[in-house]
Amino acid sequence: MSDVKDYPKLGLKAGLEIHQQLDSGKLFCACPGYLRSDEPDLLVKRKLHQVAGETGEIDAAVMHEAAMDKAFMYQYYRDTNCLVELDEEPPHQINQDALHEALKIALLLNCDIYQDTQIMRKTVIDGSNTSGFQRTVLIARDGYVETSFGKVPIDSVCLEEDSARIIIKDEKQAVYRLDRLGIPLVEIATAPALNNPEQIKEAALKLGEILRVCNVKRGIGTIRQDVNMSIKGHERVEIKGFQEPRMMVATCNFEIERQLKELEEGTTIGAVRNALEDGSTVFLRPMPGRARMYPETDLPLLHISREIIDAVKKKLPKLRNEIRDELKKRGLSDELVKLVLEGHLDEFSALSKVHDNPNLIAKMVALWPHEFASKFKKEESAIREVLTEAVLERVLLALNQKVIGEGEVKGILLKIAEGMSVADALRIERVDDAELEAKIRQLVSEKPGLREGAYMGLIIGTLGKDVDKRRAMEIVKKLLVR
Amino acid sequence: MVEIHAKPGDSVRIRLAKREIDGILLESPDSSVVLLKVESGYNIGIAKENVLALRILKKYIEPVLPSLPLPSQNLPAIGLVITGGTIASKLDAKTGGVKPLTSVQEFTRFYPELFQLARVKAIENPFMILSESMSSEHWITIAQCVKKLLDDPEIQGVIVMHGTDTLHYTGAALSFFLKNLNKPVVLTYAQRSIDRASSDARLNLQCAVQMALSECAEVVLVGHANLDDEYCQALRATKVRKMHSSRRDAFQPINTDALAHVWPDKITFYGTYRKRHSGMCELDDAFSDTTALVKFYPGQHPDILDFYALKYKGIVLEMTGLGHVAASDSAQNWIPSLKKHIKNGLIVCGAAQTLYGRLDPLVYSNGRDLAETGIIFLEDMLPETALVKLGWVLGHYGWKKHVREKMLSNIAGEFGERLVA
Repeated sequence: MSDVKDYPKLGLKAGLEIHQQLDSGKLFCACPGYLRSDEPDLLVKRKLHQVAGETGEIDAAVMHEAAMDKAFMYQYYRDTNCLVELDEEPPHQINQDALHEALKIALLLNCDIYQDTQIMRKTVIDGSNTSGFQRTVLIARDGYVETSFGKVPIDSVCLEEDSARIIIKDEKQAVYRLDRLGIPLVEIATAPALNNPEQIKEAALKLGEILRVCNVKRGIGTIRQDVNMSIKGHERVEIKGFQEPRMMVATCNFEIERQLKELEEGTTIGAVRNALEDGSTVFLRPMPGRARMYPETDLPLLHISREIIDAVKKKLPKLRNEIRDELKKRGLSDELVKLVLEGHLDEFSALSKVHDNPNLIAKMVALWPHEFASKFKKEESAIREVLTEAVLERVLLALNQKVIGEGEVKGILLKIAEGMSVADALRIERVDDAELEAKIRQLVSEKPGLREGAYMGLIIGTLGKDVDKRRAMEIVKKLLVR
Repeated sequence: MVEIHAKPGDSVRIRLAKREIDGILLESPDSSVVLLKVESGYNIGIAKENVLALRILKKYIEPVLPSLPLPSQNLPAIGLVITGGTIASKLDAKTGGVKPLTSVQEFTRFYPELFQLARVKAIENPFMILSESMSSEHWITIAQCVKKLLDDPEIQGVIVMHGTDTLHYTGAALSFFLKNLNKPVVLTYAQRSIDRASSDARLNLQCAVQMALSECAEVVLVGHANLDDEYCQALRATKVRKMHSSRRDAFQPINTDALAHVWPDKITFYGTYRKRHSGMCELDDAFSDTTALVKFYPGQHPDILDFYALKYKGIVLEMTGLGHVAASDSAQNWIPSLKKHIKNGLIVCGAAQTLYGRLDPLVYSNGRDLAETGIIFLEDMLPETALVKLGWVLGHYGWKKHVREKMLSNIAGEFGERLVA
């Protein structure tokens, strides 16, 4: 299978659908959006039934799910779940924080907002929603995102509730956890305007970038990316569950091969398929149609006033190019700005709140892990697993408390990267400090009456070039004052 | 602003200043907003004032529903009384509103399981209303429908589908109205609408059928026993109350236990119950609605009784604790007023605000003073059951001199001699 194909000839048409969790409480109740790993307080057993649509038709996707007649178990936590997630209480009014955040995302994507819209129920009876449907509302349309190959049109932005998490699934049972059910999700759908896998990947990365400047959840499972794609003559296939945009090229090429084979066999039916780690996909369910959508009758029409839209516009976060200018203004070199923007902006922004030194933090998050990796001949990702944001924060706090000096930071991180515990690395520097001071004290007492610069020369001459010059200077100054 | 001449269900094209939108026109809950189902299935609103033109692309055509196979003739027969409520309403996709189910065909589509468990021989549909809008006239009509079905020798039992809000009042009324009951009368409901896959109506109905075919000739309410979709409980209709506004197990037995636990395929009875028999049921639906339910609260002035005495023949007074209202140690002493009105003919029954537990006016001296006023203390009877029973007793002219005796005799299991922990 060749990796580069004649995409225009194949007539590849693809669109992206991104689901991103928002970092707020749940969309239709007052529960927090925490994920749990402890034992649940209650297990509730439910059954879902297929329901005929108004015209007597049953949606293909719904029928497929209902064919597997099964009882579902739901794990409930007394302190972070309520009757709404158990489908035992009508939904509360839509969470305003989540709505504002979704509007923010829609506006950053240059969309028009639907000022009057209706919260819908999308029938889902695989058990992942206790109600048998997912609540979703269309809030915006007709936006775009800028990419290196031009503007990619955004068809729609929806705000919806996340589903319950599957914990156990086998022949006999399906156990779901209610912690994730109801967490607000923004769904962004591009037009089917992407024509090769590289474009798909870039568009996904661009959208991810925009989402990250908003108040969204971070980490595995908080963003889910689906690709809708077809080649000439084949019906649309939806591929779900990309965690990593870099897998997109391989998976899309794989899917093209699969669709080509189906074209030969004459079985070109659209379907929803799951992306696997090796780039292949497996059948998940038939393509859902519009028959599965009906209004949420427990809630009034959603009106988004001009005042709300204007208020959100005033507070729009900065985008990448704006941030670039700002970082330059704060004194970062072009090279460091580039490095920081290559996926380290979150960490950079978070750590800048701990300690105000853009250059140092940029090096900590974007430069040194790379250096250490080549020094130890390891993968950079392995180094980053050790030098986590939490570790960097501890080092910066030690710097704030003057437990360590700025010049020592790199050495400490190197030791941690080598495998030393954070506590030890910080403590050893203290011992080194005491030693350094003793040595300088000795030099000063041996040759009293010199100027600072002269002492520094002596220190470098005796202790070597690698000495922490900044710290040494501080000690010299301290001793001279006495 | 343009006149909207299309009807809900029509495919339309709407022209706005900068674009056109195609979709299916829906009934809008807001008269200033045009509601449209667009291609993706989502509904969106458009401010009516922004609509420049509207063109009908395709008129709505009533869909022809597939005909369903007739239910098996070999199954035991039941009768259905449909009165409205969530269990008998569905979402109308054309209008986006909630509409009652009416035809048998519609019922077979929504409740296929029901028609596999029993043969629905007859359906009575006297009205379709939400239960909060019912009155004693509706209870009488329902009782007449039930009686008619019970008189059909083929019918093994009757299921009444009803809204939840006041279901326990109707249950109590049927318990008193249907004398010498010969077959099961089962009231059931839904707390979740039946257009959703998670509706509680399915299990409730499956279990209601089991109960309707059982040996238990009583008026019972069948519904979820807990939050699971596993089994239901059958509750004696005089000792049940809606205890939650939204949970599927909203109905709970008060001062008693469930009569039975009911699965879609079996029943486990607890304790004794009246058995099915071959005699005829009699309808005794004499009723007076000149009664009221009054809840006493701290500081309430007894002159409220003057109002009730003027308009009503009898009241059920929801009393505090073991059966108390403000007495001689209070600035708002109720005792003189109670004495006066009871002497002048007002019937005053006492029921417990606590719902759980039995009244016992003899424990405290205030209670003893109250007992002397002539209040009829109704032991562990629920206030709502008491209200219905009082209306029924007062509806019988011949019982005028025996109101106390009738109110205190156990006619439909409304009293429990033993309260269990």
